[in-house]
Amino acid sequence: MKKILFILLAISAVSCSKQTLADLNKDVKNPTNVPGNTLFSNAEKNLSDQDVSLNVNHNDFDLWSQYLTETTYTDESNYNIFTRSVPDYAWTTYYRDVLENLGRSDSLIKSETTESASDIAVQKNRRAIIDIFSCYAWDQMETAWGNIPYKQALNINNVLPAYDDALTIHKDLIARVTADVAALDPSNGSFSSADLIYSGDVSKWAEFANGLLVKLAIEIADVSAESTLVNTTINNAIAGTFSSASDDAIFDYLDATPNTNPLYVDLVLSGRSDYVAANTIINAMTSLNDPRLPLYFDQNLGANTYLGGTYGQGSAFPNYSHINTAISNTPSFPHPLLTYSEIQFYLAEAAARGIVSDAAATHYNNAVTASIVSWGGSAGDAATYLAQPSVAYNAANWKTSIGTQAWISFYLRGYLGWTEWRRLDAPAMNEPPSPASGVVTFPFRYPYPSGEQTLNGANYTAAAKAIGGDLMSTKLYWDLH
Amino acid sequence: MRKVLTLLCLLLGISWASAQTNVTGVVVSADDGQPVIGASVVVKGTTHGTITDVNGKFSINVPANNKTLVFSFVGMLPQERVAAEDMRVTLKSNAQQINEVVVTALGISRDEKSLGYATQEVNGGTLNVAKSDNLINTLSGRVSGVDIKSSGNLGGSTNIIIRGNKSLTGNNQALFIVDGVPITNANSNSTYQTTGGQGYDYGSAVSDIDPNDIQSISVLKGAAATALYGSRAANGVILITTKSGRDDEHLGKNGLGVSFSSNVTLGTIDKSTFPSYQTQYGAGYGQWYSNSQYPGLYYGPLAWTKGQSVYYVPTTEDASYGTKFDSNLKVYQWDAFVPESPNYEKATPWVAAKNGPITFFNTAVTTSNTLSLSGNSDVSSFRFSYTNFIQNGILPNSRLTKNTFDLNVSRKLAKNFTVSSQVNFTHQNTVGRNGTGYNGNIMTSFRQWWEVNVDVKELKSLYDLTGRNVTWNMSDPADGNTTPIYWNNYYWERYNNYEDDSRSHIFGNAQFKWDVTNYLSVTGRVALDTYSQLQEEHIAYGSVPAAFGIGLLDVPSGYSRDNINFMETNYDLLVNFNKNLTDKLNLTALAGGNIRRNGQNSIYASTNGGLVVPGLNAIANSVSQPLAPVEAQSAIGVNALFGSVSLGYDNTYYLDATLRRDQSSTLPIVNDTYFYPSISGSYIFTNLWKPEWVTFGKVRLNYAEVGNDAPFASLSNTYSQPSPFGSISLYSVNSTDNNPKLKPEETKSSEAGLEMAFLNKRVGFDADVYLTNTIDQIMPVAVSAATGYSYKYVNSGEVQNKGIELHAYGTPVQTKDFSWNVNVNWSTNVNKVVSLYEGVNNLQLGSFQGGVTVDATVGQPYGLIEGTDYVYKNGQKVLSDGIYETTSTTNNVIGNSNPKWHAGITNSFTYKNWTASFLIDIQKGGSVFSLDQSYGQADGIYPGSVGNNDLGNPKRNTLANGGGVIFPGVNSDGTPNTTRVEADWTYVGGYLAYPNSAFVYDASYVKLREAEISYNFQDNLLKNIGIQSLSLGLVGSNLWIIFKNLPYADPEAGLGSGNMQGWQSGVMPTTRNFGFNLKVQF
Repeated sequence: MKKILFILLAISAVSCSKQTLADLNKDVKNPTNVPGNTLFSNAEKNLSDQDVSLNVNHNDFDLWSQYLTETTYTDESNYNIFTRSVPDYAWTTYYRDVLENLGRSDSLIKSETTESASDIAVQKNRRAIIDIFSCYAWDQMETAWGNIPYKQALNINNVLPAYDDALTIHKDLIARVTADVAALDPSNGSFSSADLIYSGDVSKWAEFANGLLVKLAIEIADVSAESTLVNTTINNAIAGTFSSASDDAIFDYLDATPNTNPLYVDLVLSGRSDYVAANTIINAMTSLNDPRLPLYFDQNLGANTYLGGTYGQGSAFPNYSHINTAISNTPSFPHPLLTYSEIQFYLAEAAARGIVSDAAATHYNNAVTASIVSWGGSAGDAATYLAQPSVAYNAANWKTSIGTQAWISFYLRGYLGWTEWRRLDAPAMNEPPSPASGVVTFPFRYPYPSGEQTLNGANYTAAAKAIGGDLMSTKLYWDLH
Repeated sequence: MRKVLTLLCLLLGISWASAQTNVTGVVVSADDGQPVIGASVVVKGTTHGTITDVNGKFSINVPANNKTLVFSFVGMLPQERVAAEDMRVTLKSNAQQINEVVVTALGISRDEKSLGYATQEVNGGTLNVAKSDNLINTLSGRVSGVDIKSSGNLGGSTNIIIRGNKSLTGNNQALFIVDGVPITNANSNSTYQTTGGQGYDYGSAVSDIDPNDIQSISVLKGAAATALYGSRAANGVILITTKSGRDDEHLGKNGLGVSFSSNVTLGTIDKSTFPSYQTQYGAGYGQWYSNSQYPGLYYGPLAWTKGQSVYYVPTTEDASYGTKFDSNLKVYQWDAFVPESPNYEKATPWVAAKNGPITFFNTAVTTSNTLSLSGNSDVSSFRFSYTNFIQNGILPNSRLTKNTFDLNVSRKLAKNFTVSSQVNFTHQNTVGRNGTGYNGNIMTSFRQWWEVNVDVKELKSLYDLTGRNVTWNMSDPADGNTTPIYWNNYYWERYNNYEDDSRSHIFGNAQFKWDVTNYLSVTGRVALDTYSQLQEEHIAYGSVPAAFGIGLLDVPSGYSRDNINFMETNYDLLVNFNKNLTDKLNLTALAGGNIRRNGQNSIYASTNGGLVVPGLNAIANSVSQPLAPVEAQSAIGVNALFGSVSLGYDNTYYLDATLRRDQSSTLPIVNDTYFYPSISGSYIFTNLWKPEWVTFGKVRLNYAEVGNDAPFASLSNTYSQPSPFGSISLYSVNSTDNNPKLKPEETKSSEAGLEMAFLNKRVGFDADVYLTNTIDQIMPVAVSAATGYSYKYVNSGEVQNKGIELHAYGTPVQTKDFSWNVNVNWSTNVNKVVSLYEGVNNLQLGSFQGGVTVDATVGQPYGLIEGTDYVYKNGQKVLSDGIYETTSTTNNVIGNSNPKWHAGITNSFTYKNWTASFLIDIQKGGSVFSLDQSYGQADGIYPGSVGNNDLGNPKRNTLANGGGVIFPGVNSDGTPNTTRVEADWTYVGGYLAYPNSAFVYDASYVKLREAEISYNFQDNLLKNIGIQSLSLGLVGSNLWIIFKNLPYADPEAGLGSGNMQGWQSGVMPTTRNFGFNLKVQF
């Protein structure tokens, strides 16, 4: 009997050493604390991956821009994106994989102990860059979906974040980036090699921020109530933005998986034949004798022979032009996030709208030339091209001039191409044969993810009502003409 | 009633041979002293006998040289007596028949009638008839309240749920306890596998339990029955007692017994669970491959046609929406591009293939051989057994091998001190499990993406001839690219891209029992369960690129390995007290403690970017630098103290109370200790009220609470580490926000039962009703990604289960030589998600290909299937331009994976030495979403995609040619739809034309689960050659799906065990098994 008591006592003794027991619960394979820079690097990569991907589960905008069309499984070309929950994927990537990591990066950097003045300056630069890059991501989201959770977002203690008015967000982004530009100190460093875009070059980030301001402003150029803001923002930012393509914000991929350009994974490693050139872009470029045709597309149908599949219809892969193998077969193919050419298109538009006093044609020519050269053409090719009446800037029909050329230039930057088309309504797109339920002709916004319907229902419903319905056919507040 | 039965028995009774001595007597029941009518009286070892009359009296002639009589009656223990004058024979109730002694929690044997909760016993022998690679499969239909769904995967896991799903995101599988060793039914499948992406069902460690070693199974269903086991047993317990040397009935004292059993089973596929194909149209998705007379074919010059244009097949197009077959039309098919093919550079007639996918399957051959040795003496006993199990599956190159060694020993060291031990070692090795889910699965091709012009036997002969990956699905053969685009040659795939895995599993215990006094005993036990597992996957050089390895990137070839080590130890100490305090009052009390430690660690490594040297399966043989291996290490510790008190009064009233205190490492220190009680009572009312026809009656009632802890490491956040970007380290915020304030979750359950037996236990039933609420659930709840996270750990949510269980038995016919027994199990469970989390009314359990999700929604049953639905107007489906409109929302409830009820009916017959039985297993209700139908119907492979339309024309004709279809329904204005649409691949069927709800099917079934016929040879003949007993049998399992609503597949088939049920893609067809059993005892 005594022995029993002794054993029972032993058991209760073990049960009393609470800390020993609790120590079993430690995850010894994953860190509880990491350097803040690592999260910034990760966010940069995640955003670039999402932006460039043409995996049908992640991003369908190269189709919606009608650069490409699908060979057999034409669902996404016909805007059927629900069976693959594509908006959910994008939403999660932006909020969780990009913005939450940026936010955490900022708070970790903020908590780093800094002693020297230069440390403090570097810390300040890093935090400003994080904010600029965050605003870049917010802008993509807000121009895709409209109203989104913003002020209450990125707080796990509020699992039902309210949606904010998209224009209010947009104006806040302009204010934030303006403040960030002022905060940057180019005489000090920032992330160094942890910055996968500019290797920590603060002056480049300042130019990026100014370019982003131009972009943010021009996106709401049709919102008449904000004309003063648009005007001021652009005029303040012009001088500080990119002066040549060498300033472009480029995400340079590596040669080995998993760090190659996602295009290489989707087009080459997958071994699939899902995409051919769409007739929309082939026909447009062919009619303009565009020197970028052989740079964009493969000559698989014979020398200088290009044929696009009818957008949205089944197209046999061998019968149509493919993406240039120089693009698809290059694992490290760089992906631009913001370019000199792009900014020049915005400035051309600003000039056309009378926001800036420069000659619109100059910006336009700069934009087209920079695009051709950066794709591997020559300045001479560009000059010849621009000399054609069909290409030369047409002030009387500036939306078509700028819209068409910007759209061509933004090849494989599907989201940008689609957005530019939504804003300028040029060029004419082809209607696919069987557009998904809820799309009248073309999609004008991205539908909210289905996850929001179930996980944040009341706020979702209010947001859908506020923007005029959670439909692809709903036009966003800036898409007025 | 008695008279009728007696009459029946008399009519079927047996006359007897000429007499030597006449003996008379009466047979009475020990329970009440009443005469037993219709009892059998037989001269031992002969067929000579009689039965008792309405007064229990008999008269029989007994030969002089054999005077032993055997008295028997259903529900009673047989008795042997030497014939004498005026015999009075008293038969006692048969304890075995109604399981009067049952094994309960902690292995404690209890008098069944004293229990205040439901248990159900299954005899080991019944599970051991039809051989299966997983013990659980043989339990289906045998126990009420247990929902079993076998996936159909070779060596795969089987879902087993007792009384409904209780936990929203945690484990809901029943816990197995083998001689005190807990073994979980959790599988080690990846998330990608369990959500239908890709991978293999690696099964669970439960399949290492060898049915040959099982003496009996006791199923503890409710919380009151399992409360002493603590949290892990909240989902019910399958309590297994293995055979020991003492159980061998053929052994005398100091005997040595040898027994051998052998089984050979042949399995063929059940054709009703595999597609039938249309035979009118061949390869292609449409009519866009050429501008020619046959736009569904390519038209152009091939390398050998000297510039002349010819027709050739679009080999990339894995559908059958192409050109109509015409034996006069000659086209170049895939084999025309294979130099070794007899059809190389030859055009062949455009017809449906002679040998379709069904010819891909082999006859499965399973052999199972068991040898056991047992012996006992006054002080010791042992049993050793060895089982060799080999299963060659229906897929080429699939084989599961299992060797099991089991040793059970006990010895009395002193009169009151016994030590015993049980050890089981299993080595399991499997090669070529079937792929599951959507990707990398041959069945996905056969069921969804297929050209009906492709001959499977030709694929085999060309693979055999060349050894190369010669596929029908060539990327661009006209341009010289004959590499596969989506589908490998299936034979190449089976023989080159197979997985292999092995598991060495040891479980067992060592224990002592010390009988301190005749009313007090102490038991100590150490139990160990440990295994190490290696899972290797390959993609051979030359394959279709597939998502593979760490990060699931598409690679052209690769090798990965996952090493998993698991160990659990349990230390138990129990003090038992059992004494009659007075004449009528009995006290049983127990106090004890348990220390449990679990540890698991794994390391997963894969090549990156392909293999450098083909065929060399080593991580170092990687094209790009291999990514850092994925390591995981977890540990859980629980310390427990528990006690119970049972009082019995006058063998009529019983009261049990238990209390357990757990302290768990996975909870915050301030909340890590929790208590939970149970109380149960029973009342044997037939001791006070007993009409003649009632033999036994008991009511029982109980209430129990069970606490539960959190999963490992869910209290604090860590960062995850994506692969570095070159030399730059990347870290990421985890997608789940952990919670340092978790507290234990709780299950509260109550239960009432009624057990009755009639006519000397010839008929009886046991019924239960129960209500279980699981509250404060610890779960990672899905949250809006706008929070920056996908999941957040919370203590929230409540799930309710209520149900009815019924087990009934009867013996409709009983004569001397013949008996017919019926056993019926029936149960229904209604499950409801009562609440989730602040403002959240839906929890997505999983998201699947095809756009459907499996969800828990407040106010609805757990495991709903949600997706897009039709748009209805006045109950009619709405169309627009002839095409169905579908909801823009994807959260429509379109199915419920929970069945309405389950039933199992076993009929068994014995006639002299013959035994026969069959088990019908029935499921009513439940839904399953079929991606196979969703995609397969769109691809035009099923017979429904051809045929004539309402105009009498082939519907696949173009509209201009009188083809097309008019879908039933109304336009948005309510007028009937009259718009005819093209019956092309986008419209005629499948996912492009219909919402998800069109592919949700009723999962009901009626199955002939098992059947057996066996013969026991006469002892006398065999004893001369030293054989104690010999039986031969024919057995079958999954013989016939008598009824089902799901076309071309088994509604049970799926991905494996787990919380996400109700979704099918590329499921295996069901195997019908026919086997031959031999059992011999020496």
